[in-house]
Order: sequence, then structure tokens, then C-alpha cells
Amino acid sequence: MSAVDEVVVRRAVRLAASGVTPERLQRIIARLLEEGADASPRQVIDALERNLRSGARLCGPVATEAALALLERAGARVLVPGSPGYCARLEVLWPELGAPLWLFVQPALAQAAPLPCGPAVAVVGTRQPSLDGLRTARELGGLLAQRGVVVVSGMARGIDQAAHRGALEAGGVTVAVLGAGFGVDYPRGDAALRDAIRGSGGLVSEVLPGTRPRPQGFLQRNRIISGLADVCVVVEGRTRSGTLRTAGMAAAQGRDVFAVPGSLHQPTAQAPLALIRDGARCLTRYEDVLELLPAATQPAAAVPSLDPAPAAVPGPPLQGLPAVVRALVGSMPATAGEVAGATGRPLPEVLAALSQLEERGSVRSTPRGYVGTGS
Amino acid sequence: MEVTAVRSVSGLLGDHVDGLLDRTPPLRAPHHGASPAALLGGGSGVARPGEVSLAHHGVLFLDELLEWPRSTLDALRQPLEEGVVRVSRSRATVVYPARFLLIAASNPCPCGGGQRCGCSDDAISAYRARLSGALADRIDLAPRMLPLSAADLLSSASAESSAAVAARVAAARAVAADRGGALNAIAPAALLRRTATREAVRTLAVAVEAGRLTGRGYDRALRVARTCADLAGADTVDREQVLEAIGHRGALAAPGAGAV
Repeated sequence: MSAVDEVVVRRAVRLAASGVTPERLQRIIARLLEEGADASPRQVIDALERNLRSGARLCGPVATEAALALLERAGARVLVPGSPGYCARLEVLWPELGAPLWLFVQPALAQAAPLPCGPAVAVVGTRQPSLDGLRTARELGGLLAQRGVVVVSGMARGIDQAAHRGALEAGGVTVAVLGAGFGVDYPRGDAALRDAIRGSGGLVSEVLPGTRPRPQGFLQRNRIISGLADVCVVVEGRTRSGTLRTAGMAAAQGRDVFAVPGSLHQPTAQAPLALIRDGARCLTRYEDVLELLPAATQPAAAVPSLDPAPAAVPGPPLQGLPAVVRALVGSMPATAGEVAGATGRPLPEVLAALSQLEERGSVRSTPRGYVGTGS
Repeated sequence: MEVTAVRSVSGLLGDHVDGLLDRTPPLRAPHHGASPAALLGGGSGVARPGEVSLAHHGVLFLDELLEWPRSTLDALRQPLEEGVVRVSRSRATVVYPARFLLIAASNPCPCGGGQRCGCSDDAISAYRARLSGALADRIDLAPRMLPLSAADLLSSASAESSAAVAARVAAARAVAADRGGALNAIAPAALLRRTATREAVRTLAVAVEAGRLTGRGYDRALRVARTCADLAGADTVDREQVLEAIGHRGALAAPGAGAV
């Protein structure tokens, strides 16, 4: 790293340690652009420093050193626009489309490798998905990874994690943009997955190690997820959700947005359906995504195929009422009463059918009702 | 007779029924703010019967089940299992009868549910976990109810009248009483098992192995299955009825629900 970069990195870390949020960064950039400046990273740093110094909130050299030491202990590398590892796709978004002024990445070892190189797809969605959505995210993540596409997501429970897992299972590369700092167990209890992703494409965070997540931070994190990728796929989400915001951000950044369609009655299909209405591409098969990516996608020939969904308990083919019930119960939780109403059969028979399907592993009883397992 | 005796001890007889037996089964519906003593019996001096005993041979209805303190709910296990409640005080231990039918209601999730429910699965699981596994084990039927829509409320096309249901239930109870001299809930387990097919017993065993039933749940599911058979007019308990009985526990069988 050149001496000039060294200075920029130091100044950026100083700003991070002074508590500069992405929101503040964007306000400063907007003001500079309004004043007719070109808002280069250096100009933005200058402006932020002036701004903080006037309020005596710019931290001193001791705090800056402490932050640098924190990053070193975490084994994190600092990327600023212009430094070798800073993703080119993000760089072109500077200044007004949400490129961050600094990024912390783990592991630090891959000094030369830009992050992520090659085609990348963001797979995002709700924390409370349906089984169907989880399956879509996992299969899509796996297929993309097999074709050499980097899968970018946010490590959140639900769709995000399913996409990461799919990519890892397929032996591919996946990158997670975290809402918290390194060293914070968030989402709680998912350290094993975080470690696996760190060993794959790496972890990215915009806040210093040890920083607790904050609600606004997730929305800001989402702009990095979409910015790192060529294409953004929305698997499931509700209205007024962070997922919808991510899709909006991706579109503003000039990314192609795909939405996975779902049922009108399914709350988690609200966001994808709204996106399709507003002009997003409708995902009808996984290959749709590949067709929009730059050519670097390799054929899947040499890569082992993804495991199918967990095997069903082998049993005789379903007949009669259980077969009818199985066809009715999908990814939307249904109560026994609803199923009975739909089949027109007495509740005792329907309960027995559901119970038999559960014994086979074909439906599952969840806190919200029965759902089909896809087997 | 026992019902009247309990009421007498608690001073609930009043003057107007002086000396007469009241033949209406009791219905007690204490609020979830009630103290353990009010529910189970207690008080200073001679321990007085609690709600569980006042509901003897009747119905104890606990609304908002998950809002009750867990320790209070767990104290219901003894009366549910033995039909009596022991109230120990410094002077003496009093045993009151407490064989009641427990009926409880609860919201599906912390926010009350409905179409707009935004509760996370974790939040729902945590809410459900307020019901201990031990008590959940003693609940036989747990249907999930859907909110009534305005159309449902206006519709007059009701399925079956309460009178017709009551007649079916009375007939099934008579069949059960004929068999063992006792209702299925308290009849000897061996007697019930003799009426079950091998296939039915195997289905129960599979459910226990798969963790869908506990050991106690096995016995209770068999009793429910016997009742299902009685309602259907069947002599033997088949696999079909066992599956139905397990299905009746639907809302409790969900992973994480009561599993502590």
C-alpha cells in the first residue's frame, strides 16, 4: 500500500472512530455536490473533518490508534475508494449512489484479491420466510455458486442465511455484509456460519469491530449488499420492509432487480409482487439470473450437483384424502379447520390425514399452522 | 353431592338453595391475576377450597392461559393427574376433590395474531414456551382457531347445532361407561388398550419415537383415540383414530411449543 493510501486509511478510521454514520456521510456528500464540488473521497474527508472539528467531536490520535489496533486484532483490512481491494462495482457508485468511504473486511490475508471479483448476485429477503422461500434462496445460492457467481447477502436469519448456506454447500464463494462490527455475535448463535463465510468470500462491515447493530445500520448495510453485486434477487419480503428498501437501492444503483413471485395471499410475497408491478424482472426460473450476468459464468459440468431437499421418509404413494390434503398444504401455514373447509371433509378425517402426513415428513406443524415440506 | 359439599365449605351455598342439591355442573373462570391460593385452595386457618375444587365435576376455564404465572400453572398438574388437590398448611393438610375439565384459551402469539401479525418465529416460540411441557402433555385437544370474519358472524348456515353435538357426546359417554364403568379419561389403561388394534398401538409407538408424543402423551392419546372411536361408533381403536387423536394436539405439537 502506498504512503498516500496509508494516510487516507488513517483519516478514514479516525472518522469511523469519531462516530461518523453512513447517513452523515451521505449528507456531507449531498451538500458538497450542491455546492458544485465534485465530492471526491478526499474532499469528503476534508469536509467531514472540518465539520467534526467545529463541534469538537473529531477524536484525537489516541482514539484513532485504539481503533486501528482494534482492527488489527480483528484481523480486518481497511478499504477506501481507490485502494486495491475496493470493489470496482462499488467504486463507480461514488459519490452519490451509496459507496462507503471505508469498508472493513475479514480475512485480511487476501491482500490482492478485490472483493468480490467476477460476477456477483445479491440474494435478499425476509427474516421470516416460508419454507418455500428458504428453499428458493438455498437452491438459487447453490446454483449461482456452482456457476462461479459470488453470492452476496446480509447474514440475517431467514432468506439471507439460506442463500449463504446454499452457496457454501455447493462449494462456491459467498460474501456477507454484516450489520454489526466484527467480534459481535450477531445474529446471535450463528458463529459457525459466519466462520464458514469468512473462509469463503469473506465478511464485510462498515462499522468498527465490537460495534452493536443499530436499526438504521441495517438499511445502510443493504446499500452495500446491492452495490457489491451485479444483480439483486428479492426472494421474499413484506410491504414496508428492509427488503423492499434494498431493492429500491439496487434499482437506483442501476442493478437489475429480480423478484420471485408468490401467492397473493402470502404475506411474504407482498414485496416481490409489488416490485414486479413496479417494473422488476419476474424470476420464472433460476437460469434467468445467469442470462443477465457478464460472460464469466462457467458451465456447471465439473461441479457436483447440489443435494436435493432432505429426503422424505420412503413410503407408499399417497392416496385418498392424505393425497388431497398434501396438495393443499403449501408454504402458507394452514390450520386443520381451514384444510377441512377446503376439502369439505369432516375434521376428524382431516386431522388423521394431517397426522399421517406429518408422520411421513410431508407436512410439518409450525407455530402458525401446518406447512408442506416439499417432500 | 361432592359439588355441594365443596360449595358448603367455601360458603358459596347461600340461603336460597338451603339443603337442596344443585345439579348444574359448575363453571369456574378465574382471571389470570388470581393468586395460587385462590386457584388451588388455601387461606389462613382452615384451608378453603380453591377454584380447582369449586370446578369439581365441572369446567375450569382459564382464559389467556399463557398470561398465567408459570408456577401457578404447573401446580395444576397434580389435580389434573389425580383429581384431588392437597393443600398443606402449618396445622394440617387438607385434600379437596378437584376433578375438572380444563378448558383454556390463548392468543397464538404475543401480538394477538391475525393477518397483520409481525411476530418473529422466535418471539412466538418464546411465548408458547410459557406453557411448560409437563402441563402441555396433559392437554388433549388443542385446535388452532381462526379469527371470525364479519361474513362468518352474519352467516346463519351453521354446521351442527349444540343440541345435536350434546346428543352425540352423551351417546359416546354412555358407550364408554358401558365398557369400563368409567369415562375414557379415568378408565384403566389396560382396558382401553385391549380395544386397540395392533396397527393403532404401533402408530402411537412411532409417534413417541419421533418425539411427537411423550410417554404420558402416549397414554392420553390412546384415551382420546378411544373417545374418537366411541364418537364414530367403532368398537375398536384403529390407526385412523390414533392419527386423529395425535392431530387433535396440533397446536401443541409445534416445534418449540412447550418444549423446555
